[in-house]
Order: sequence, then structure tokens, then C-alpha cells
Amino acid sequence: MKTIYLCEDSVTGMLSAIYDAWMESRDKEAGIGLKECLEQQLFCEYKEVEVSERKAGAVVRLIRKYLGDETYRDFYQALLSEDPEKADAVFRVMQSARSVKDSRKIMEHLSDPAVEKVFSLSRQVGNEAHRFLEFVRFRELKNGVLFSEIVPKNRILSCIADHFSDRFPLENWMICDKRHNECVIHRVRYHWVLVKDREWDQEIRERFSESEKEFARLWTGFFDSISIPERENRMCQMNHLPLRYRAEMTEFQGKPVFEKSS
Amino acid sequence: MPETILNKIGMYEKLKILSDAAKYDVSCTSSGVDRNGDGKGMGNCRAAGICHSFSADGRCISLLKILFTNECIFDCKYCINRSSNDVVRTSFTPEEVCTLTMEFYRRNYIEGLFLSSGVLRSPNYTMELIYAALYRLRKVCNFQGYIHVKAIPGADPELIKRVGFLADRMSVNMELPTAESLRLLAPHKTRKSILTPMRLVQNRMEENKEELAVYRNAPKFVPAGQSTQMIIGATPESDYQILNVAESLYRKFDLKRVFYSAFVAVNEDTLLPQKTSDGPPLLREHRLYQADWLLRFYKFKAEELLDEKNPNFNLYLDPKCNWALKHLEMFPVEVNRADYEVLLRVPGIGVKSAQRIVKARRMGILDFSDLKKMGVVLKRALYFITCGGRMMYRTKIEEDYITRNLLNTKERLPDSVRGMTYRQLSLFDDVDWGSDNENNLSL
Repeated sequence: MKTIYLCEDSVTGMLSAIYDAWMESRDKEAGIGLKECLEQQLFCEYKEVEVSERKAGAVVRLIRKYLGDETYRDFYQALLSEDPEKADAVFRVMQSARSVKDSRKIMEHLSDPAVEKVFSLSRQVGNEAHRFLEFVRFRELKNGVLFSEIVPKNRILSCIADHFSDRFPLENWMICDKRHNECVIHRVRYHWVLVKDREWDQEIRERFSESEKEFARLWTGFFDSISIPERENRMCQMNHLPLRYRAEMTEFQGKPVFEKSS
Repeated sequence: MPETILNKIGMYEKLKILSDAAKYDVSCTSSGVDRNGDGKGMGNCRAAGICHSFSADGRCISLLKILFTNECIFDCKYCINRSSNDVVRTSFTPEEVCTLTMEFYRRNYIEGLFLSSGVLRSPNYTMELIYAALYRLRKVCNFQGYIHVKAIPGADPELIKRVGFLADRMSVNMELPTAESLRLLAPHKTRKSILTPMRLVQNRMEENKEELAVYRNAPKFVPAGQSTQMIIGATPESDYQILNVAESLYRKFDLKRVFYSAFVAVNEDTLLPQKTSDGPPLLREHRLYQADWLLRFYKFKAEELLDEKNPNFNLYLDPKCNWALKHLEMFPVEVNRADYEVLLRVPGIGVKSAQRIVKARRMGILDFSDLKKMGVVLKRALYFITCGGRMMYRTKIEEDYITRNLLNTKERLPDSVRGMTYRQLSLFDDVDWGSDNENNLSL
């Protein structure tokens, strides 16, 4: 009978389930399911797996050692996606890796459906993370903290935090993911932290500094004047910068959602 | 000419004027240098560059692109800031440039600064102001983001060198492809005054490589290299001439990028093409970029793509298809065996997919469905390849037949040129600039 390991939808949770699955059933047919979005199947045994830092850490070391850092990055990014079968796909890739000659090159075997799946999930998450390196907009609060809100499809905060830490080491900043209710917070001289499911004082985000409005105005003015009217092309703009990102972006505040080509 | 020089206008107006005047510069890339922050200031750089927004014309906004001043003693016919134009003139101070850059950067609006300038008083005076701004930005504000700066033709070599140590990329604009056109439209600039600083930067970069080899922490000189741009369609040069100029710039001056800028008529002048309702020649510009890509990444040479007899690109077919149709004797090639260089020349196979093919075929024999997964555009490639000795469909290998089919599959044009009507296409397809223009390409 196929065993399905159930876990919560967090990277540590899923890695814990992969640990149990690997220890008990790596030679058998087994799967990983997410508690939150489970479709019960017949002829399956379900086992619930508790979140365990120890188990997750062991799996990470296993993956890095035998499959390489690049593969681990792909796994990690895939696990941040919204796909309910992500953990299952990662587990199946690990199983496939046992039968190839050089397990570090497992991600090159794109003809394997599990590899293909993890590859494309990882790419989706990576691409979205890159988009937010571009489109995150900070606003300065009264206390000098740089504050940003985003609504990404995947949980990409941990993919972009290093970039901004390196870029703004002397700033206090935070980026909030409104959809997944997560927040990455950076304090000067500290490593960033990821905070989950916290209630935020709604008013904080309305208290902007004196100069914030002026710089937002300057930027919006620049944004408008840098375009060449003879070359105007809203379709092109839309393809590079889809509407769903614009609600949180400074330069699109107070503009109609879609401006028609003149 | 009456000119209004406003020094007391607000920051908002100033930024509007000086960004509006800078927008015709195409280059807005922040690429070519990978640098982490040192933890003591602000900023870092990523080799691939990062776009931060897209303006209404669909162009990427990566850098704060501004002129230091739009006052100018030069009178280049095509330029909105030429001395004979009656426009509002203003200048930033070095402090203002720094504040804008830092505050925009920390809000993640931009990747850095693109600082160009009109020529105020003299090239040296202008270059010194630019130096002052960059010095402050780098040394006082500790800014470690990207800086692209223009070298002013005619400025003192020593000044240009000093600026080069503060910037990531430097550029001198070619403006026009031939010396003759330059003489006509930019009377204060000469081939020599443009190429001299370009050569200077190139030589200094070479020296810097040696310095860095000896001492890893030596200051870096223009680490992201230099670029230039040419205006397309203001003068009668053919695509062949333009591409040859670009090729020599890459080869002899070691440029990172040549940009092409479709001519936008901002001035009325008897020496310029008349204003028409057609807008800038965007499709021509696009074909030149495609060809430029072929030069840089696909190991093509300019004379393979065009020649004296066919000096302009076919606007209906991309340069690579066009080339392949003229060299059908080379095709079809066997995907499972052909060299990487040969794969690169197949229409529908790009650099990425060629690399993937070379990697994946070590694991097993590829067929057409594998190629599709790797990103090969089969509807274009199918006339030129075999998989395991077989073509995808039965097709004739015959120029007319393939041309007809390729035209039917409708190339996916980028949005930048989409939306143009057939009428516009045929209009500038007919333009014959007289290809027997004297050859002025003594680069």
C-alpha cells in the first residue's frame, strides 16, 4: 500500500516529511501531501509528520552532499511555490537521483516528469523573485524605517532578503507579503528575519515621513517625463510590467489602472 | 536667440526638464558589473542588470537618466538642446544630483545614475562638474550602485580618466555613422573628437587590467566597459554601413554595446528628414538590434548579413532567416551531431537552446518533441534541421517555398514595433537612400 506523508505547507514542514519518507519508504511507492490541500485517495495509508528542525536540517545536508548546492536551490525554490504537489515532486526527484550515474546532474534529466516539474516550479518562483527585486518600492516611515508591501503569488520573501540586506546594510527596512501574511525585517547590523502571521498595527503603514511625499512626487514626475511620446506603446509596457504589480508601486499611484493608447 | 536661464525653479520642474532632455539616450542598462556592498554605504550591482520600471513607451527604467545641464554651446541639428533652440535652460548642482540618486535608490526606484550633459561653457568645465557630482556620490555618500556617465567630446584626457575611476560605464555617442553626416548635422563634433576619448577609455581599461592582475584591490577603471549610440534614419546611410561601423567599434574599440536610436524629429531643420505621421523607424531599429545580436553572440560578420548589392535588411524577415535562406546549401543540419557554431546559425535556435541541445544530446538521442521542450522555435527551425536523419515534415528545401512559409508563420515581433500598420511598413521599405553613397567607414 502506498504511504502518503502529510505535513504543513512550510519549507521545514515539507523537509521533515521528506525525511520520514526517505527513511521509511525510499524504495517503495510513497508520496508527500500537504495538510491544507489534500484530496483523499483510495488504497493509501496516511501518516502525519510533525515539523522538526532536526529532520529538515538532516535532509538539507543530504541533498547538498549528494545532489549539490544548485539542486538544493532548485528544491528550495520549488517548495516555496503554490503548487500542492511540490513536495511530492521533490521527493520523486530524490528517488530518481538514485538511479542516475551522476546524481549531481539530476536536474539535467528533464525528460523525467518529476525533474521537469521541479525545474519549472523553481523557475517560476525564481522569476517571480526576480520581478520583486525590480518592483519592490519602499516608503519611508516617520521613524526612518523603509516599508514595503507586496502581493506575490509564491512565498518569495526569503529569496529576495539577501539582496536587499546587501544593498541597504545601514537601513532598517521591512517587506510585507500581504497574501501569505509574512514579513521580512532587517535591522541595522542584524541578519534579516522572517516573521509569520503577526497582526500589524494598520496605522503604522500610513505614517509616512515628511519628505516621503515629495520624493514620491519627484519620482512620478521623472517616470512620466522619461517616456518618448512618439514611441508610446502601452502593450509593451504591460508585458514587461503586468498590471498586478502596479497597485503597490509608487509611480502608478493615483493613475487609472489601464491607460489607453492615444 | 533669447534664452531663459532659470536658476530659481523648483526641484520638480528641474527634474522634469533635465530628464525630458535626457530621454533620447537609449542606453539604460545597469549591466556588466557584479559588486557586493561593503557594508559601509549603500548599494550593490548585479552583472545582468536590474530594470525597475517600464515607462509608457515600454522602455525599461533602470537608471536615473538625467542631464547635468541642458545648457549647451553646441548646435547639433537633431538635438532638442541645441544652442539655437529656445527652451528653458537649467542645471543641477552636484549636491542635488547626489540627493536625488540616494533617495531614489533607497526606495528601490532605480539601480543607479545615468549622468549625461549639455556642454556648459566648455567641455572641460562640464566634465569637471560631472566629476564633482560623481566624487561626492562615491566618496561622501558612499554610493556603491551603478553609475553610467558620458564622456564629453573635447574634454581633457586627464579629467576623463579621473571620472572613469568613479563610474561603472562610460560612453561617448557616435551620433551618426559617417563623418560626412556628422559634419552636416553636428558641426561642433568631429569623428576625431568622438573617437579620441573612446580610444582613451579603451587604452586605460587595458592598463587597468594589468594593474588589477598585479594588485587585486587596485581601483577599477570603467569596469562595465563602454558603449555608444547611433541615430538611425536621420541621414541616408544604409544598414550595411551602420552595421559595419558597429562591427569595427566592437572589434577595434572593444565596446560592450552599440545602441541604435530610431530618429525622432524634435526640431524642424532643412538638413533633417521632414516630420511625417509615420513616427520613428522602429522596425528598422529592431532589425539592426537583431543583427547586432548576431554579431555579438552568434559569431556572424557584418559582410555575411549584408553587402553592397543588398545594403538594407528585409523588413519582413529577421536577419538570421534572411541569411539562412541565402545559404540553403548548408542545410538541413543534423541536430544530434552538428557543432555548436552550426546550431547557432539555424533560425529558431537561440544561444540558450543551442547550449541545452549540446548538453542534452550527451544523455540520449533528441527528437523534435525534446527540441520543443528546450525552447527551439520549431515552426521556423523545421526547414533547416533533421533529427536522427529525418525532417519533421516533408518539405522542399527551396528558397521561395521556405520564404513563403516563414512569412505565413508570422514572426512574433516585439511589442516595441507591434501595432504598426502595413502601410507604414511598405512606406519605409520603399525609401531608397541611395546606396552608392561614398564609403566613409575609415574607423
